[in-house]
Amino acid sequence: MEERFSFDPFVLPFTIGLLFIIIYLAVAAGKVIYDLPTDDRKRFFRSLFSWRIFVSIKDIICECLLHVRIFRRNKILGFMHMSIAFGWFMIIVLGHIEVKLYAPHRLNLPYFPIFFRYFMKETEHSMQGAFFFFMMDFFLLLVLIGIGMALYKRFNSRAMGMRRTTRLKNADRIALYTLWLIFPLRLLAESHTAEIAGGSFLTNTVGYLVGIVPEDYGRGFWWAYSIALGLFFFALPGSRYMHIPTEALLILFKNAGIRSRKKGDGVATAAIYSCSRCGICIDACQISSAARKPKDTAVYFIRQLREGDPAALKSAENCFMCGRCVQACPVGIDSIRLRQNVRELKAPKDQSDYSYLPAMDIGQADVLYFSGCMTRNMPSILNAMKTILRNSGDKYLHMDASSTICCGRPMLLTGQIDAARAMIMKNTEIIRRSGAKTLVTSCPICYKVFCEQYSLQDVEILHHSQYIDRLISSGRIKVEKSSLNVVYHDPCDLGRGSKVYKEPRRVIDAVAHLTAIPSAIDRKKALCCGGSLANTALSESSRRAVTVDAFQQLTASSPDVLATACPLCKKTFEGVSEGHSAVKDIAQVVVEAMEKNLSSPCEESIEKSTAHTIA
Amino acid sequence: MKNVVIIGAGVAGLTAAARLKDIGYNVTIIEKKTYDGGNVASWDRLFPDSRRASRLIDDVRRPLGEGVTIHYDQRITSLVKMKDGRIGVGTESLGIIHADALLVASGFSLFDAHLKEEYGYGIYDNVYTQADLESMFSSGKVLTRSGDIPRRIGFVHCVGSRDEKVGNRYCSKVCCVTAVKQASEIKQLYPDAQVYCFYMDLRMFELPYEDMYFNAQKLYGVRFIRGRLCEAAEKMDKSVILKVEDTLAGQTLNLSVDMLVLMAGMRPASDTARIATMLGLHCNKEGFLTPVDIFSRGNETEVDGVFLAGTCTGPKTIPQTIADARSAAIRIDEYLKKRKK
Repeated sequence: MEERFSFDPFVLPFTIGLLFIIIYLAVAAGKVIYDLPTDDRKRFFRSLFSWRIFVSIKDIICECLLHVRIFRRNKILGFMHMSIAFGWFMIIVLGHIEVKLYAPHRLNLPYFPIFFRYFMKETEHSMQGAFFFFMMDFFLLLVLIGIGMALYKRFNSRAMGMRRTTRLKNADRIALYTLWLIFPLRLLAESHTAEIAGGSFLTNTVGYLVGIVPEDYGRGFWWAYSIALGLFFFALPGSRYMHIPTEALLILFKNAGIRSRKKGDGVATAAIYSCSRCGICIDACQISSAARKPKDTAVYFIRQLREGDPAALKSAENCFMCGRCVQACPVGIDSIRLRQNVRELKAPKDQSDYSYLPAMDIGQADVLYFSGCMTRNMPSILNAMKTILRNSGDKYLHMDASSTICCGRPMLLTGQIDAARAMIMKNTEIIRRSGAKTLVTSCPICYKVFCEQYSLQDVEILHHSQYIDRLISSGRIKVEKSSLNVVYHDPCDLGRGSKVYKEPRRVIDAVAHLTAIPSAIDRKKALCCGGSLANTALSESSRRAVTVDAFQQLTASSPDVLATACPLCKKTFEGVSEGHSAVKDIAQVVVEAMEKNLSSPCEESIEKSTAHTIA
Repeated sequence: MKNVVIIGAGVAGLTAAARLKDIGYNVTIIEKKTYDGGNVASWDRLFPDSRRASRLIDDVRRPLGEGVTIHYDQRITSLVKMKDGRIGVGTESLGIIHADALLVASGFSLFDAHLKEEYGYGIYDNVYTQADLESMFSSGKVLTRSGDIPRRIGFVHCVGSRDEKVGNRYCSKVCCVTAVKQASEIKQLYPDAQVYCFYMDLRMFELPYEDMYFNAQKLYGVRFIRGRLCEAAEKMDKSVILKVEDTLAGQTLNLSVDMLVLMAGMRPASDTARIATMLGLHCNKEGFLTPVDIFSRGNETEVDGVFLAGTCTGPKTIPQTIADARSAAIRIDEYLKKRKK
């Protein structure tokens, strides 16, 4: 190898672009870290010097370069992302190794490894360079395949297993087109100099074809290549490709255990810029797929946030907060939290006085049953739970038999944190005073809030599916297995929200035949029933479209029973079932299976009324 | 003689049949149930004058005489517009009847009160619909499930009407008056009973209704409470404890009743959608059939020779249904006369 030149004006567009983007990224990263709340910032720096950094490095390699998560979701799409990211990365790494080996004194020139083939010429045919020639061609080919697939996807997204892909903005277009151009131009440039600088299977072959271009004009390819790179760097900050550098930072935050807490904090900013707008969430979102209203899906909402578009205030409301998009997101962006941030910002400041909340002393018990407002309005579930509790042998109390204080979730979801706190405090007091060791709730929404927002210390919190599971497995209630075909629907807040998947399935398996449903709508990928209280913007007809679609998917096998474990899911599905498959709560299915072994009903534990009664 | 086929032997179907027969058409009625009179057949007495429902059905049935054939227990299997302009009406056991004109009078069915599970219909012993109460009136025994005389009775208005959550935004028109009628009847039966009506609005739109409402309060002491029921729970003694907000007094009330009566709204009859699909008729988003023009062509459809009457186009009182059915008979006659030329 021999050096031909050490500088040429064509390196300028690239070098200036590179300088720009390095300064931009350094400043931006500094700002994001500065914007973290102080304790989070400390935690972040501490995590950099702990074992967690190795996890982060592994995650960065897996996600930023290999795109393992996209692979898992969609192999073709995964390959496309991997080939571009990993191929490009390897070209840069190999370029630097070449410089290190053959021109170590040029390592200080940032452009040298990028335009190595132009500056160096091969002196003799030896195995020395051939290895690198081959490797460089190989990875260039890999990237080109990826780019080819990206081009194809842009015009035919369905072929890549995506029903919808995002619409582009101008900065995206510049970045996208330059990204498409960079590697074909590199191929042309390297092919043109392949005769002098050496090449392998790809560059040599293409070299014969571009050989017809006169030597003097050949430098034009290098200019074009450099300009494409430079333009890409300049377009990067305004484009969706900011996700490439930002995702690494987000991974560091995640592994440091930092979550966004309010709009504009560092994690929120990092999450917003980590969105690659791949559009996977558009298909995952039922408001888009079933109700055909994709305009507020996570990807567009995040773009509004990034652009400071006031429309984000409205679109934050149009979400069931079911978490399907978060589960599907290859970057793992918690868009629910981002929506929650906006909701909290625009929530009315607490105007209500909660001092009227009754100071209830409900007596002593081991097990406290909190039915919650929605179960109170679903007597079929409430009756089933009362039967189960009566037969459990536990000393129990129905905490909200006569009057109920909300668990606080609706207030939390609309961002009224102080109001929610007032209810949480009151409920905590009631629960503590009862001396209960276990709190059983029928509603996954309550369950999630009790788990996450309450500090009940040594009181164990169980959803009724978990409680029933224990009663069955310990033999405290006797059930008989029937031949009914039962499909189980995971409620959002119980499954994705609280990771309770096993117990309800075990319960159903003990009392009936648990029918499988397609994995695309099972467990983590479970559908939202469309009844979620979290959405305050969607019309009833769109909600219904979501519900009908979910119901049809769940009951495609015409099961006898569609069982769920949430009063809201049951209510919502019942509205569209029209007699196809009975919709039941898991507690009802259990009571039907224990019918023969029932003991006679005894007096209700408490029945007090606190409100005004008319004569 | 030209054939007219009528779907439904309710008040609308019977009324139109009598008119058409008088004009001189050969009329056939297809009825899915085993009796005529439709929903009214299961009623005891009717507002505003408390006449027997059975007497009203007799009155609309009497003019039919021998000239009208009613086929009971029949399900429409096909409806085809034929090349000669007639309509082929297919049923399971009658084969295909060729109709020169078809009148759809498929009526309504009551909203399924089970869907408002929070009120406990089908779960609590003593929750009924207004139709259940009518049956009790007919049998002469208005008693709780355990056979006791109810001392407190609550009526819940707008169950499945004006309720976006169940997909019915519209007013079912007749339930308010029915509740006033039934509340008064209960008091006639049990003067000592306490009767409550929980309402959003009271829609007393016809002349006699306001008087009925006035008498219910003045003569019978029915208590009207403006507010929707928010919770209903069953006590051990099978009475129902209600939590309701009195929005005029601005306070929440807890009270228990021995009987809770739900005023279920009107939904299009279950077969209306099927009939509409077979003929290509328009339905509104609530599922009721829509005529060409509600002012001038209220009984006509976009399909030549197919006409509409009664509650298949939306909630109606019985006098409105009778007037609508007569108007449909006139339109059918005009249509058939024009076609003859």
